[in-house]
Amino acid sequence: MKKIFALSALAVLLASGTALADTSGKKIAFSNNYAGNSWRQSMLKSYDAVAKKAVADKVVAAADVFTTADKEVPTQAAQVQNLILQGYDAIVINSASPDALNGAIKQACDAGIVVVSFDGIVTEPCAYRVVVDYEKMGKEEVEQMAKFQPKGGNLLEIRGLAGTSIDDAIHKGITEAVAAHPEFKIVGSVTGDWDQTTAQKAVATILPSLPPIVGIVDQGGDGYGAAQAFAAAGKPRPTIIMGNRQDELQWWKEQKEKDGYQTWSGSIAPGVSTLAFWVAQLVLDGHKDIPHDLIVPYLSFTQDNFEAALPDIPKGGVASHEYTQADALAAIKDNMK
Amino acid sequence: MVQVKALLAKPWIWSFVGAFLVWIAAVAFTRGHGGGGMIIAALSLAVFMVIVGIGQMFVITLGPGNVDLSLPANIGLASAVAMKVMDGNDSMVAIGLLAALACGFAIGAANYLLIWALRIPPIIATLSAAFIIQSIDISYGRGLQIKPPPGFADFANLRYFGIPVLAMLAVLLAIAAGIVLNRTVYGRSVLAIGQNLRAARLAGVKVQRTSFLTYALAGTLGGIDGALLAAYFRGANVDIGNEYLLASIAVVVIGGTSVAGGKANVPGVWGAALFLVLLLTMLNTFGVSVGIRLVLTGLIIVGVITAAGGPKAER
Repeated sequence: MKKIFALSALAVLLASGTALADTSGKKIAFSNNYAGNSWRQSMLKSYDAVAKKAVADKVVAAADVFTTADKEVPTQAAQVQNLILQGYDAIVINSASPDALNGAIKQACDAGIVVVSFDGIVTEPCAYRVVVDYEKMGKEEVEQMAKFQPKGGNLLEIRGLAGTSIDDAIHKGITEAVAAHPEFKIVGSVTGDWDQTTAQKAVATILPSLPPIVGIVDQGGDGYGAAQAFAAAGKPRPTIIMGNRQDELQWWKEQKEKDGYQTWSGSIAPGVSTLAFWVAQLVLDGHKDIPHDLIVPYLSFTQDNFEAALPDIPKGGVASHEYTQADALAAIKDNMK
Repeated sequence: MVQVKALLAKPWIWSFVGAFLVWIAAVAFTRGHGGGGMIIAALSLAVFMVIVGIGQMFVITLGPGNVDLSLPANIGLASAVAMKVMDGNDSMVAIGLLAALACGFAIGAANYLLIWALRIPPIIATLSAAFIIQSIDISYGRGLQIKPPPGFADFANLRYFGIPVLAMLAVLLAIAAGIVLNRTVYGRSVLAIGQNLRAARLAGVKVQRTSFLTYALAGTLGGIDGALLAAYFRGANVDIGNEYLLASIAVVVIGGTSVAGGKANVPGVWGAALFLVLLLTMLNTFGVSVGIRLVLTGLIIVGVITAAGGPKAER
């Protein structure tokens, strides 16, 4: 019953579409621990655009971004403590570790600060988590592969950063789907760290020892490197699942124009940072019934629509999607069903 | 027999033995399948370790405390500078390479300036320089992958008689480095400073100039490495040099160069680079999990260094 009330309240808000005055005095900080790759740059850019507009529209009083130079946990923990002292009302965080920051996060919660984590999530129960259904993404990769390679064959898996929840979830999805598709067999697995260079190196070292490969299942950011490694070794090009990076989609386009190459692309949109921002704003606005774990869909492209999206992705960047407040409400609603 | 003994006495031989053994292990696992491909892949990837490794070797040879920790950041920035200057245009390749060289040289010179003018220990100086360089790189490159011109990218993959051209050039570089180290006043000065700074100074060795040239050389080699990495991996990015912090020091040490300075070993850098890449090849081929892979890598490196360093204890 409560849920229905909440939903209808959300629906009213959705219909009215105007910013509520309640949060106009609130300050939201964004704690980020790394800015060195295209995904993070795109994440910051999306966040900046949406947050600046929210400040200009007087939805919130301030929306400042704080990025630490390295990927270190202690630096970010100290940063969160500073943000508490500076009197922010909410902290949006892309965390360096799922549990190592829990102490600092708990302190923030105890100080009455709303904490919303995304991408690099925190396990502290008082915080909100905006997560992508990575397991489903891993499953879909194999299902798409089955379409392109109906006869099946050998697959190479490229894993992400070891020890992260994301790597585990995608790998789990892939493993389960391969078990359901006995025509496929994973004959090799390397660590690509979601990075083109690392992936190319890793694939180059394992490639000579592998039997013929029909497809590569991966985690995004590694597809182009894998393609380069196959080209450098003079091996036939397999079906490589892409991860929404501009260079990956550009390569796909070139291959498609050459001989009708087919594949599929999926990844988390860096603009999910803006969803986290709106979640923080809505919680400050009094929506205490928002679930602490929000699952959002991943952004994917197919053979038919990737070329249309390509021109909008900055050269060397990654496909993104920025959320409006209404989008955020719709995404939250999907999680309350 | 005497020759074998003389060969075994060379500290660099162990890195080649190690490389050979891990290759044999990998080939045995695949029952002879892909052995040649593994060597070609190892040659292609070892090149980048050799180039920075030689720079690091000169720095480490200067004596205790000398090390360049800014190389990964240097490589990242130089890769971005090179790709931005080239801007996908084949006619700009030479200018882009020069820009990368200049960028690397400037970083090396700045490192020495920090060490000499502010009297900061090299470890701290180059590490803090690395933070500054990385920040410059992030704001300069905006984390985007900037693509190399097609001609330059093809060059990075070029092979003659099946051997990567870059590997041939890196062998020439190693030979040149060997000549510089053993046959020039500069090279002998580096060794003399590493053996005993005070004695070298009293003997009239120009310590400051030699140290400056050494840091500048390491920086320049880092710069050229950045440009080549961006060509080989089809794009510059901030993290492109990350691996070369540990790798540049590991190839020097595994290659038989003394960490205490004063004793350098050029062929060992090649052996150690091949060893590290083939080690990764072997572990990837075995299909071990990441955790075990890292543990084994650490243990095997310790093992090789112990084996290589064993006979030296008697000196």
